[in-house]
Amino acid sequence: MYDLIIIGGGPGGVAAGVYAARKKINAAVITDSFGGQSLVSNGIENWIGTRSISGFDLAKSLEDHLRAQTGIDIIEGELVTGVTKRDDGTFVVATRGGKTLETKYVLLASGSRRRRLGVPGENEFDGKGVVFCTTCDAPLFGGKTVAVVGGGNSALEGVLDVLQYAPKVYLLVRSEVLRGDPVTQEKVKSHPNVEVMWNTVVTEIRGGGQPPFVNGIKYKNVKTGEEKDLALDGVFIEIGLTPNSDFVKDLVRLDEYGHVVVDHKTQQTSCPGIWAAGDVSDVLYDQNNISVGDAIKATLNIYDKIKKS
Amino acid sequence: MAKVTIYTTPTCVYCKMAKAFFAQNNVSYEEKNVATDLAAREEMVNKSHQLGVPVIDVDNSIVIGFDQRTLEQLLGIGAKAA
Repeated sequence: MYDLIIIGGGPGGVAAGVYAARKKINAAVITDSFGGQSLVSNGIENWIGTRSISGFDLAKSLEDHLRAQTGIDIIEGELVTGVTKRDDGTFVVATRGGKTLETKYVLLASGSRRRRLGVPGENEFDGKGVVFCTTCDAPLFGGKTVAVVGGGNSALEGVLDVLQYAPKVYLLVRSEVLRGDPVTQEKVKSHPNVEVMWNTVVTEIRGGGQPPFVNGIKYKNVKTGEEKDLALDGVFIEIGLTPNSDFVKDLVRLDEYGHVVVDHKTQQTSCPGIWAAGDVSDVLYDQNNISVGDAIKATLNIYDKIKKS
Repeated sequence: MAKVTIYTTPTCVYCKMAKAFFAQNNVSYEEKNVATDLAAREEMVNKSHQLGVPVIDVDNSIVIGFDQRTLEQLLGIGAKAA
């Protein structure tokens, strides 16, 4: 029986692991991989204390810092699939690999993952013209016509990425405004090869050929209700994130977007014994530096609880 | 020893992770940059029916993405000691 199981290997989970080890809490960190969502970032310029670091190097340094601690178990390569509360108030954490671990307290630092459109063709053509890692796959779309879906920073940066290769880029925006940095917005809107389509949602992704690849989409104007077809070769989906809270949805209170609601002074959730920090929580700003601070706040609060018990 | 080919783009972090994994386990591999090598890109699409990197060919078994578990099985590498 652990005193604490920390779920997640991003900045929050690692920070909690380091603090738990230094407080000699009998703890384990369970994570699929290290680094969190910044892993795919080419350059992070706001990780405090470091001028610029790639997501890959940040992940390595986080893992290295955690592995340098003694007295903490690290279970890597495992996704948590369920958390159940027992009558005595302790928890059982189950993983996809079939492990079950017992613990008195749980800290959720499981972050979030890319949101999907949920339209026909999206899963079928994933990796066959549907792209979820723009930085990875943009270079494969040289000479092709593509659409980027989304209106935030990641969509705008995705457009600029793919413009280096593709001669024609449609930006499909659900509303009438772009979010994201004004400088990037201007760059995108003023580029001659970009066509911004406002009030537009994708309703279907289609493909054909042998082997099958994307050859078009069906889209709808949400104001007029008019549906049309658009021929293209790639769809880059950059519509933001959804929190990894599914495995605790019956235990803790979630907000309408699936974020775990916490008391922002202590990071405690609505379920006694469970804390949450970082992007999985209803924190106002999803930032690496904030996740670190909030996870430490949670760990210290858990430490206080352990000392008192 | 298995013949390993990895199809990559220079901006793909999962490709970097896969290469770091190979280096760590002393697996030699051939890398083909499909951002610039169009023949290699076509070869990758034919093998994998995928337009996304990384694609890894281990003795004609095709692995899509950096799937460490599958690579460990194909290469006969034991799971990392906890």
